[in-house]
Amino acid sequence: MDFTLPQYDPFRMLPEIFMLLWALWVFTYDLITKRQKEAAVGYMALIGPAVPLLFIVFYLTGLLPESWRYGGSGFGAMFFNDTTAMFFKIVFLGAAIMAIGSSFGITKQKIVNHRGEFYGLLLFSTLGMMFLASSNELLTLYIGLELTTIPLFVLAAFFKDDKLSVEAGVKYFVIGAFSSALLLYGMSFLYGLSGTTGLVQMKMNMAVVFLSYRDIGVILLGGIVLLVAGVGFKLALPPFHQWAPDVYEGSPTPIAAFLSVGSKAAGLVAFGKIFVNGLMAFFGPEQAPNDWGMLVGLLAILAMVIGNVVAIRQTNIKRMLAYSSIAQAGYIMIGMVVLNEHGMASVAYYIFAYMFANMGAFAAVAIFEDQTGSCQIEDYKGLAKTSPVFAVSLSLFLLSLVGIPPLAGFLAKYKVFAAAISMATVDPSASWLYWLVGVGVLTAVFSLFYYANVMRLMFFSNEEPRHKITYSVPALCVLLLGLAGIVVFGIYAEPILKLVRTIPADFGLYIP
Amino acid sequence: MLFYLSLAAVLFAVGLFGVLTRRNTIGILMSLELMFNAANINFVAFNKYVWADGLIGQMFAVFIVVVAAAEAVVGLAIVLLLYRNWQGIDTDHVSVMKW
Amino acid sequence: MEKEILTLVTFFPLVGVVLLTILPRDRHDSIKGFALIISFVTFLFSTWLYYMFDPLGNGMQMEVNIPWITSLGISYHMGVDGISLLLIMLTTILTFLSILASWNSIKTGVKGYYISMLLLETGMIGVFCALDLFMFYVFWEVMLVPMYFIIGLWGGPRKIYAAIKFVLFTMFGSLLMLVGIIYILFEYQKYSGVFSFDMLKIIGELPLSYQAQLWLFGAFALAFAIKVPLFPFHTWLPDAHVQAPTAGSVILAGVLLKMGTYGFIRICLPLFPDATITYLPYICILSLIAIIYGALVAMVQRDVKSLVAFSSVSHMGFVMLGMFALNTQGIQGSIIQMINHGISTGGLFLLVGMLYERRHTRLIEDFGGIARVMPAYAAFFMIITLSSIGLPFTNGFVGEFLILLGAFHKNNVYGIIGATGVVFAACYMLWMYQRVFFGKVTNDENKKLLDLSWREKVILVPLVLLVFWIGVYPKPLFEILKPSVNLVVEQMERAEAVRLDDDYRVEEKLTTVEVGNNELSFDTEEQSDE
Repeated sequence: MDFTLPQYDPFRMLPEIFMLLWALWVFTYDLITKRQKEAAVGYMALIGPAVPLLFIVFYLTGLLPESWRYGGSGFGAMFFNDTTAMFFKIVFLGAAIMAIGSSFGITKQKIVNHRGEFYGLLLFSTLGMMFLASSNELLTLYIGLELTTIPLFVLAAFFKDDKLSVEAGVKYFVIGAFSSALLLYGMSFLYGLSGTTGLVQMKMNMAVVFLSYRDIGVILLGGIVLLVAGVGFKLALPPFHQWAPDVYEGSPTPIAAFLSVGSKAAGLVAFGKIFVNGLMAFFGPEQAPNDWGMLVGLLAILAMVIGNVVAIRQTNIKRMLAYSSIAQAGYIMIGMVVLNEHGMASVAYYIFAYMFANMGAFAAVAIFEDQTGSCQIEDYKGLAKTSPVFAVSLSLFLLSLVGIPPLAGFLAKYKVFAAAISMATVDPSASWLYWLVGVGVLTAVFSLFYYANVMRLMFFSNEEPRHKITYSVPALCVLLLGLAGIVVFGIYAEPILKLVRTIPADFGLYIP
Repeated sequence: MLFYLSLAAVLFAVGLFGVLTRRNTIGILMSLELMFNAANINFVAFNKYVWADGLIGQMFAVFIVVVAAAEAVVGLAIVLLLYRNWQGIDTDHVSVMKW
Repeated sequence: MEKEILTLVTFFPLVGVVLLTILPRDRHDSIKGFALIISFVTFLFSTWLYYMFDPLGNGMQMEVNIPWITSLGISYHMGVDGISLLLIMLTTILTFLSILASWNSIKTGVKGYYISMLLLETGMIGVFCALDLFMFYVFWEVMLVPMYFIIGLWGGPRKIYAAIKFVLFTMFGSLLMLVGIIYILFEYQKYSGVFSFDMLKIIGELPLSYQAQLWLFGAFALAFAIKVPLFPFHTWLPDAHVQAPTAGSVILAGVLLKMGTYGFIRICLPLFPDATITYLPYICILSLIAIIYGALVAMVQRDVKSLVAFSSVSHMGFVMLGMFALNTQGIQGSIIQMINHGISTGGLFLLVGMLYERRHTRLIEDFGGIARVMPAYAAFFMIITLSSIGLPFTNGFVGEFLILLGAFHKNNVYGIIGATGVVFAACYMLWMYQRVFFGKVTNDENKKLLDLSWREKVILVPLVLLVFWIGVYPKPLFEILKPSVNLVVEQMERAEAVRLDDDYRVEEKLTTVEVGNNELSFDTEEQSDE
């Protein structure tokens, strides 16, 4: 039993180490200022994700000195900075920045005593996501996932005396823990079959096992089902989606936003790492046993149909956005089941565009809720008359979610559909992907119904508006950041597309 | 090994059943712990009988124990909130929103 | 300058959008003024484009090709040929006129309205300029949003229903088109090894299997047919037209419908020639149904605006019929008819809008004897009505005559049924004219009506001039169109010849095609001028 520790390089974890220390500092800062400074804590918390974000962006654009080798392995397969890791870290950090930026209203009015904890936990959750993105191994992946969700349990139930919030916390906790248990049990089978937890090693060992027995076996099948269910809960893919609307409705709006983007992106990374990388051999008919591809395709169809159809009859905008994000997860999963050089790239671009649009939409909802205390779509009536900037920016976010060019959401949908078609035109046995694209197109038309409904109320209503929106500086910045994101990366997408192009290689989908 | 795997499967099934049917949140928490421990047993059993040339499985189990403890702490805190708001810990209370 | 002119024409309205966003909301006069000036300058740019265009040159002119998103093979590729040039001219002039026409009728949300109009103009010109499939799609979708707001915010009583119906119909079609575009992208990549959306390269090089052509033609044709609108997909059109504000209807009828037919001639015909031959009879039959059905339904309308809307369905049927006759006369006629329809139906909507501004009703039974109260208005209305019917010396005649000529060459039955459509058109238009303008002034409210103001005359005079210019001296238009139309016709003949290779009547058919070709189109036209 000899055991060699992989080489440990803390330099490559610099952003994570900074995040950890900064989260602790935010806790302490709130305490030593005797919980008096409301905005200062928020600005302090903003530095937490901003510095690592700049670090990674500088590294990717080549602005850091050559000798700073940030990319590469920090601790064997347990911590590995490839393009995927860095790209998704940008998404997580961006989502965290926008979530913190839109929390200023809440921390001013509702959270009086625990601002430090609120922001600190948000940072901890982001930290978990960052570890998750860097892991190429089941153990760190699991720990990253737990570090992501456990703070979110607390955050969802943060309004301790608000029954809705506590209910959201209970539901999210039960579902979260339940899905972790399913995931773990599935992982234990993967370990049992392959003898390793490193994803690349696992892929090879599994292929050997499969080749020697010519059979996938009940155990792996059971493992796959458990894993799909486990990650499916985290991603809110139907039929594991019922918790999402309740939790989004009950929890504080910035947290709902962070759940719908950050936590969803984390689930996607986990899914991609386990399935696209680790279980790639068990994907499609070409590789003989066709086990998770079609299953996930079916879930994607369900997600698009259920998400888009149920969203139509929602009256609460947070619930509507919850169903919309269920549907968006369906679109993303189309890219996920495409195992060629386009698949994961489209997923990455989609989540990037989705981050700006959805965080922006939730930020707008948060601004509205802070001032009026309401989340009913009815109350948005006639807002265009009193607050045109608000109405136009919310409409642009929704249009990006529908996928109207030239906004980033369109390019994202385009990439996903293109990925599916690219596989289907080459491989006749993958022609079921056309069905995914077909359903995607049809449901995208449906989605216009409920997005356009909000716009209709804001612009077309004759009633005198009941509210007028005033903006605080951070909230306005978040709105503008989101707008800039969907417009700029819709028109000038080249740098992002260049970056995501190398992502499928990290999953072993092609050799660059 | 089959014995341990079956034990784990039974534990998992009991836990699953408990999570789905229990009304009491503490009961749900306990059932969740059963499910975690089923995975633990699996990991250790696989390590002992199939892949004995390493400690990955056992290490994994240790980590699960730690994380599950953290999870239980947060869970109990949330149960406490439940009690504060409804003076009871049954999930029946938690239906302001439809599931 | 030759390189930048297209970019200038397309994006100059966007400059106006930026300008208007900065202006304060309550400065109505300066907002209107700026919008008018911007649209006029855009029109001037487009006339400049017209003068720079070389009618003898083959293929695309003023091409710009700059890589945009290289990793996806998307490039900023613009260019014009005769067909798009004429449609761009039509767009700029109609936008200018409709901005002038909304001067008094739009009273709320002035700023947003003019921003939408200018945004719409960029989208429309972009569609006609784009030579990159991706850009074509982007512009195609971009104009959806401003149109949604124009109908939904400034429209009639059922505006929201109409706006949402319009958007859903269009969106459904265009998403199918997107799938088709993506498929073509990967087929082209398989064939040539590079990603490219370049329309010219794809049309010139990509060999598509017959089966693939059938599917792709279906996807594209559905998107275009909804826009045209061809018979079973027309239901959004009456709602949208009737509910939209005057300027919205003018743009909708004048330009947006042409985007559908333009899509057919620019993409469907050259890219899927074999499938075109297969689908040809069905499309011809659908357009014939549209011609007759549109005319019959128009006849029983009580609202003048919905009468004009249904006449649009009928006229666009003509355009489709001519195009799918697939010979020189038919296609030339169909393009001329696109322009004509823009002028005459646009003019009718403007006229109806002017009457509506005065009386706030459009029901035919509320009027009668208007000619006595508003003689100038009646005269303008008469000219535009006659042009819409297709009287000789007006523009409508040139287009319809050529279309019918082409249809007769293709199949006598098509020609005969199409010709009945012309008769029907005369019936419903003249009957409506008679009920509105002649007779005694029965309704007291009509007695006080004021005749046209100088602003309204300024709007109508250019249209009337165009009506007569195209009607009497259409030669310049034909010269501009000739190279592009010949290109399409040659492609179609090649496809038809290949298709007929096994057919024993191959020689016979080819000779008829040649006969059709020898009668050069503008020769026939000069005869008809006299």
